[in-house]
Amino acid sequence: MLEQKLRQTCRELLANGTVKVIIGYGAAPAGQATRAVFITTPEGVEQLVWNDRCEANLVAYLKRPEVRALGKPAIVVKACDERALVVLQQEAQLERANVFVIGMACDGIGAPREAKCRSCEDQVPRFCDVVLGEVTKPADAASARWDELAEFMKKSPEERMAYWQQELARCVKCYACRQVCPLCYCQRCIVDKNRPTVISTSPSLKGNFAWHVTRAFHLAARCAGCDACTRACPVGINLRLLNQSMAKATEENFQCRPGTDPQAQPLIGNYATGDKEEFIR
Amino acid sequence: MSQTISLAGIRQLIGQWLGQGKRVAGPIRVNADTILYQNLTSAEALLLDGCVHPGNSIKEFVMPPHEKLYEYVVKGRDVELRNQEAFPPERLILGGRPCDAAALPILDHIFNWDFVDAAYNQRRQALTIVSLACTRQDDACFCTSVGLAPDAVQGSDALLVPLGNDEYEVRCQTPKGEALFAGKCTPSDRQGSVPAGPAKQFDAKQVEALITSQFEAPVWREQALACLGCGACAYGCPTCHCFDIVDEGHAGGGIRARNWDACQFPLFTLHASGHNPRQGQASRQRQRVYHKFHIYPEKFKEYLCTGCGNCVRRCPAGLGLLSVLTAIQQAGAAAPAAKGEEAKQP
Repeated sequence: MLEQKLRQTCRELLANGTVKVIIGYGAAPAGQATRAVFITTPEGVEQLVWNDRCEANLVAYLKRPEVRALGKPAIVVKACDERALVVLQQEAQLERANVFVIGMACDGIGAPREAKCRSCEDQVPRFCDVVLGEVTKPADAASARWDELAEFMKKSPEERMAYWQQELARCVKCYACRQVCPLCYCQRCIVDKNRPTVISTSPSLKGNFAWHVTRAFHLAARCAGCDACTRACPVGINLRLLNQSMAKATEENFQCRPGTDPQAQPLIGNYATGDKEEFIR
Repeated sequence: MSQTISLAGIRQLIGQWLGQGKRVAGPIRVNADTILYQNLTSAEALLLDGCVHPGNSIKEFVMPPHEKLYEYVVKGRDVELRNQEAFPPERLILGGRPCDAAALPILDHIFNWDFVDAAYNQRRQALTIVSLACTRQDDACFCTSVGLAPDAVQGSDALLVPLGNDEYEVRCQTPKGEALFAGKCTPSDRQGSVPAGPAKQFDAKQVEALITSQFEAPVWREQALACLGCGACAYGCPTCHCFDIVDEGHAGGGIRARNWDACQFPLFTLHASGHNPRQGQASRQRQRVYHKFHIYPEKFKEYLCTGCGNCVRRCPAGLGLLSVLTAIQQAGAAAPAAKGEEAKQP
């Protein structure tokens, strides 16, 4: 059984001193999905679980000082989580050799299965130190990846604006979207800068637009599409749509699929003579 | 003898209020997965079943996430203040959960114990709250652990108790509630009853005693590791009430606003000097538990928690007060001598 295999792998990693801590999924109290567990002893691996409720992107924990203090980690990732890890690597936020990455072949997560999983192109992580399991349920055609966005873009600009006004009006700036994001690692987020204030801290419509649009742009060509922000939002704002529109634009214009090539230069920090410029008006 | 009202009667009541230009709020479905307390634009939008607890709390109607306090205009060496806020319209909340309503008397204490907060009190006085007794619960619910129940009446002007078939027993608690339902109910001999609430999950008294003696216990660090430090718990909590005052505008003027703030953010305690007395998530999470189960009870003789479970439901990391308190109780039972332990500051 895959869960046993995962536990065995982790037990060995801790026993032979390869890592100090395993960042994995553990059982959550009834009614919740799973939660991150931080295991430091070989006996502790019995807490690890692997199931279709392993929803969180645990890569977000690599930015937490409390977790870093535990020593060299092994981290359990799905293919989408791994893309975030690769972006961190590209952006020099982590030394790949200092993290042991355990990839899990993934049939999709969530009950019901999440939108991103239905059109997942990856399923099996590619750059891990070890990959466990195999895919038993291939995702629907990856061509369906932009369907939700395409449907949304059929609306007129006025309708789309009305939609975002309605949706973002609910935001109370709890910043769950930012905190669960592995790529929101700024030591001080622009929205927390108050000398002077750059982005209005108020959860007003203006402040909310400023926040979400800024975040989407900052994640352009970086967002791994793990949808952690969308899952985390307590008021049900479909942030996935914002991220997807950025992802589609960078993919179509710059052939950039973030986190799929550890050797690639980050798009924002890179210039190619072939880059299109007709969109600059 | 009891008083009853049908769902159709309730919707009629809402229609009347809306027709008079008053506000009515209640649980509505905002999308396939989300039900929130929001202002109703039609009586039909009200959703009395469909979820155990809406994703937010009714504190938003007495303490909005963003509240303009006044406008200011700089005129030479003077500043002119313009209070633009008219007296808030009368508002009815229908279908509030008893655990949300019970938070209102708590907030009343907070906003009146030294500084009498006019903005809060005006909204509060304009509010009539009709709660709906809970007939079901989920794994996040823990009202019974903090002394409440599925049919608690604290803070409610009236309580609706489901009788089945879209009929409700109306239990008026205050003159406001009586005025609201006067002439709207049918006398009946049916008495509503609700199932017992969730089993007690922890002993609040014991937890209160433990957290004072376990200030440095490792359990705080262990519990906080998975916390990612957002404000989803605090902002969904009916009793969390911390705020920040900000000025927004330009050199010539602007607004002074009150925005929600949360103790889980590092910025909450960051000093101008750059020093932060609450370093690390463990001390921030501990603060939240302390405030709810020690600091506030010490002053006001009640818990700053109604067991609504929203912190559990909303936590993107699968945490929430319930598991933290349970863990503290377990740690306390396992190591009663931890008082003098020279553990490191979390």
